[in-house]
Parts: sequence; structure tokens; C-alpha cells
Amino acid sequence: MSKPKVAFFDFACCEGCQLQVANIGEPLIDLLDIVQVVEFREVMSEKWDGEFDVSFIEGSITDEHAVERIKKIRERSKILVALGSCATIGGVNGMKNSFPLEEVGKYVYGESYKFFPTLQTKAVHQVVPVDYFINGCPIYQPEFITVLKCILQGIPYYVPEYPVCVECKLNENVCMYDRGLTCMGPVTKAGCNSWCINNGNICYGCRGLTINPNTEGFKEVLKKYNIPEDFLIKKIEMYNKCKELD
Amino acid sequence: MKIEQYKLLEKSLLKDFINSLIPIANVYAPVSKGFNNYVFQNIKSADEVSIKYIPTIIPPKKFFLPKKENILQFFIEDELKVEPVTEYENLIIFGVHTCDIAGIKCLNMVLSDKPKDTAYLIRKKHVTIIGIECNDYCDEYASCSFVGAHMPTTGYDLMFTELSEYFIVHIHSSKGMDIIEKTDIFKDASIAQLEELKILRNNKMKIFNNEIPTERRYLPDLFDRSFNANVWKELEQKCLSCGNCTAVCPTCYCFDIKEEVDLTLKAGERYRVWFSCQLDPFAKVAGGHDFRKERSARQRHRFYRKFRYHIDRYGMVFCTGCGRCSRTCMAKINLKEVLTSLIRESEAKIWRKWL
Ligand code: SF4
Ligand code: SF4
Ligand code: SF4
Ligand code: SF4
Ligand code: SF4
Repeated sequence: MSKPKVAFFDFACCEGCQLQVANIGEPLIDLLDIVQVVEFREVMSEKWDGEFDVSFIEGSITDEHAVERIKKIRERSKILVALGSCATIGGVNGMKNSFPLEEVGKYVYGESYKFFPTLQTKAVHQVVPVDYFINGCPIYQPEFITVLKCILQGIPYYVPEYPVCVECKLNENVCMYDRGLTCMGPVTKAGCNSWCINNGNICYGCRGLTINPNTEGFKEVLKKYNIPEDFLIKKIEMYNKCKELD
Repeated sequence: MKIEQYKLLEKSLLKDFINSLIPIANVYAPVSKGFNNYVFQNIKSADEVSIKYIPTIIPPKKFFLPKKENILQFFIEDELKVEPVTEYENLIIFGVHTCDIAGIKCLNMVLSDKPKDTAYLIRKKHVTIIGIECNDYCDEYASCSFVGAHMPTTGYDLMFTELSEYFIVHIHSSKGMDIIEKTDIFKDASIAQLEELKILRNNKMKIFNNEIPTERRYLPDLFDRSFNANVWKELEQKCLSCGNCTAVCPTCYCFDIKEEVDLTLKAGERYRVWFSCQLDPFAKVAGGHDFRKERSARQRHRFYRKFRYHIDRYGMVFCTGCGRCSRTCMAKINLKEVLTSLIRESEAKIWRKWL
């Protein structure tokens, strides 16, 4: 059996998630035993003009060109994976949707903004069907490997439907609230093994809101810690603005 | 109190004693993580240990029921091969408080019930528990006296209690005896120290007051009348369903089973990981139905699981009063306050005093 053909494509993003894949280290050798990478701009210049077994899409969809391009990639791909928060939830690019498009265009391109037509930011699944989601800004490498194994086995990958706190507690971190800091862990999707908190940082919510967040309750919690409500709204909008388009 | 079951250790020799354990087995003891947080951690020297500590982030249940535990290995080459796995190590847990010992007793009860959890029972045999008695409350979250977990009773190999001059050590098993016999730093106890221990325990009865305005024996009746209490509805808004209260609870044992293959896609393992009734997917079944969709129902379940259901099944309260759930909850849902509100609400409704 020939190895599945895998490709990576980037849209509006910082390419940090592809970098995470390229820097995956030792498992890369084993990975290359089971898949054939046919397109990956970050690390190789070859292109492929046939069908892809698995396409990883990094970045969000922000203009008509991108819409056309992602549709074509979808047609050529048996399985399509959204890679990283820009692709899965719109990510930080979603902040654009808080402003009128004209204002955004002028801010970036000045008076020539009309030559650069733009759209509201969309996550990949808001434009074409997506089969697998790998959240994170950037993605968490072990989760990438887990998802890839699921794809190759032909089984679904379930993004945890519980918050980062669950993993954080099992890692026995001192809770950020005990340190007098604010942490988005209680309303953020798990799956990163509480990566940031393990390394002494707060969770800033990069994987997006969990499926059923108690945002009202969370506001009450922040009140108890004397944190203003709009602080939370801003933190949520930083990654979750595109949710409004779901 | 049989005098031959007691030994004395000079206070200044406690570290020597801890160090003497390190060559025997992997020793785990409370270590400070800062911000008044402690963790049972593998130690290489007694200097790392915090003798005075408040209950650790995760209780010692993690040694009995690991957070992630491989239970099966499988190979899918030409034919399927499956091998059950039991993971265990010889270990000594030093410095376990009586509330956490009560927690292990709860786990023992459930996991030796049918169907027996063999891996758990094997692991348990390899663990030595050395307790330290609390002469005073750890902090305001504790309710160990309400559930009767503030005094040493059973469930340990050795129990250290601090007296004025010495630690008095109760030897409660042959494993405990072996450890004592390995070093020559212990002295025999005399009547005077046993007397002092008795006085200390009597004193504790004054220090440790019942923290909840009712008695344990009223719990079944109280809970039977409280299923539709408003207290639960209030928790609906407050609780974030983060699952912290259950992860840290010494008597929570729910798990999920998962599988993962390695990169050859031909071998892998099945493992169990802790899971929690507070989390969204817990009571979800095929078709997307969720038997406990409301947070209030999940919180109610947690409390019934501690204070009602297991009284029928095992004749035991499944709360050790360790206070971890209240300490860890960023929404500040406090077990003592919830129980007190429940009592107040029910008193107003049924004209009955619970004390
Ligand atoms: S540090 Fe953050 S993620 Fe961890 S338990 Fe606290 S709130 Fe949750
Ligand atoms: S801890 Fe939070 S911010 Fe960090 S990777 Fe996980 S979800 Fe993202
Ligand atoms: S720790 Fe608090 S907020 Fe989290 S699930 Fe438990 S009660 Fe709810
Ligand atoms: S319910 Fe709370 S106080 Fe009781 S044993 Fe569990 S964590 Fe400790
Ligand atoms: S809850 Fe009671 S037994 Fe447990 S540490 Fe606190 S005072 Fe000691």
C-alpha cells in the first residue's frame, strides 16, 4: 500500500502552526515512514498536482481569492484538516470582524484600500466542510500526532469537551487564581495538556471557548477577584469573534 | 493503647528517619509549590519535605488510582494480540493526614467491591502509608471533624503524632514494624508519653468542633428531603463545570477509557484516565442525549455522591472533610456553606431542626 499523500497549505496566519509541525523533532522520522508529504511550503519547494489524501489547512479565510483557493483544495482532498486556531475558530484574525470592513481596509492600506478587497474573517469550516480540527495558537504537537494517527486509522478525533482546568489540575499546577492572576482555563477547550500553565504562564484561551462555557458565571468569578467585566469580553473576542458567523 | 505498639522519635531525628526511607523504596511526601500549595512528590532528601502543610492539590489517591493508567497492550500485526497490564511500584507515602487516609479507605471499599479492581488491589499492596496526625485544623475549609476523619483510627502502617518532646509513633502493621526495625533511632514509649497522647486527643475534641450545623446521622434524612432544593439551582449560575472539585477529591474515582496506537499503527495501549461528573461529556450517550445537562444537576449529584448514595451502599459518608473542593473552586462554591444552606432551607420548609 502506498503511503497517504499529505499536504500543508496556509491562508491568513503567521505560519507558526506549520513551524510547530516542522519542529516536531524525533517523531518526524517515524511520521515520514507512514505518510508522504507532497506539498509543504514552509519546508520544501515541490508542488503536487494530483489528489491529496490529507490536506492540513492553516489560517483563516479573509478574501475572495482565499475562498476560491480553499474550495479548490477541498475538491482535491479526501480529508481536510483545520490546523491551528486561525483555521479552526478564526483565531486572532477574527478581531477584524469587530470593525466595518472599510475602516479595516483604510487602516491597513490607506486610501488605496479599494484595490485590496477584503471579507469578514471566517474559520475554514465556515467556507468548506472540515473533517478534523486541531486547535491551538500554536497547535500542541502531541495533539497533532494523535489526530494524524486517528486520520490514518480512519477514526474520528474528539476535541475534549471540557476546559483546560481539567488537565491543569491533573498536572498539579498551582492555580493562577491562587497566584493572583486571571486565567482563561475554566472556559477554554482542553487538549493542550495545560501547556502554558505548566510553563508558568496563564491560559489566554487560544483554543477557543469550550462547548458550553458558563460565561455569566465566569464574570461573577472575575468580579470576586476585582477584574472588570470588559476585560473578559476582550479576552474572549481575541480568539472567538468568528463564532458569531457559525 | 498497647504500649508495645508505640515508639518514640526525637523531634530532631525526623529528617534522619525520612532519609532512612529513601534507600528502601520510592518515597513521596508533601513538597511546597509556593502560594500555600503542596504536592505529594518523589523526594530525594528530607530537606524537600514540608512537615506542616495543608492538603495537597491532588490527594494520595493518585498513587492508588493513577491519573493515567495503562491497562492493556495490543498488537495488530497479522493477528490481534492482547495483554493486560498492571502498573505498580514499591512506594512509601510519608506525611499522610488522617483525612486522606479516610479517602483511601473509601477507595478500598469501592474498588474491592464486585467486580474487583485487580490492578488497584495489587498496587495497594505495594504502598506503605506513614501518617502524620493534625493537632490543629489545617485551615478554615476543613470539615474533617463532621465526618470523623480528624482522629487516626485505621488504614495506615505508621502514624506520627507530635508531642511536646517527641514524635510518638503508632505501629499499625507488620510493614510499619519492618520500617521501624530497619533503623535504630526509635526508643520505646513509656506510660508518660501514652498519657500525653491521651491528653492531646482529648484536647483535640475541643479544638475540632463539628463544622456543619447537623450530625452525620441526619444526613440521609436531610438529603432525602433536599433533592429539589433551591440550593442546587443557585449553583447552576455559579459553577463553571471546570471539574476541579472532583479531580482533587480523595473519594472521586470515575474514569474514562481510551486507546492510543503508536506511530507504526500496529501496536498500542488501552488506558484509563480520571473523569468527572462535572464535565459536559460525562453523562452524554449515543444520539447526543445528556442525562445531566444542567450544572445544578451535576453539582447535586456530586453532593449526593458524597453524603447520601454511599451511605446506603457502603454505610459510609464519602467525604473526608479535607476541604480540597472548596479550596480549589474559583467560583468559591464552599462545601461547608452548601451543606449549611441545605440545612437552613430544609428547616424552613419542614419545621424540623437538624441539630
Ligand atoms: S491555572 Fe487556570 S487552567 Fe489551571 S486550574 Fe487555575 S484557572 Fe484552571
Ligand atoms: S493553556 Fe490556554 S493558551 Fe495555552 S495552549 Fe492551552 S488553551 Fe492555549
Ligand atoms: S470547582 Fe467549582 S466551578 Fe469547578 S466544577 Fe467544581 S464547583 Fe464548579
Ligand atoms: S467532597 Fe470536598 S471536602 Fe469532601 S472529601 Fe471531597 S474534596 Fe474533600
Ligand atoms: S482536613 Fe482535618 S485531617 Fe485533613 S489536613 Fe485538615 S485538619 Fe488535618
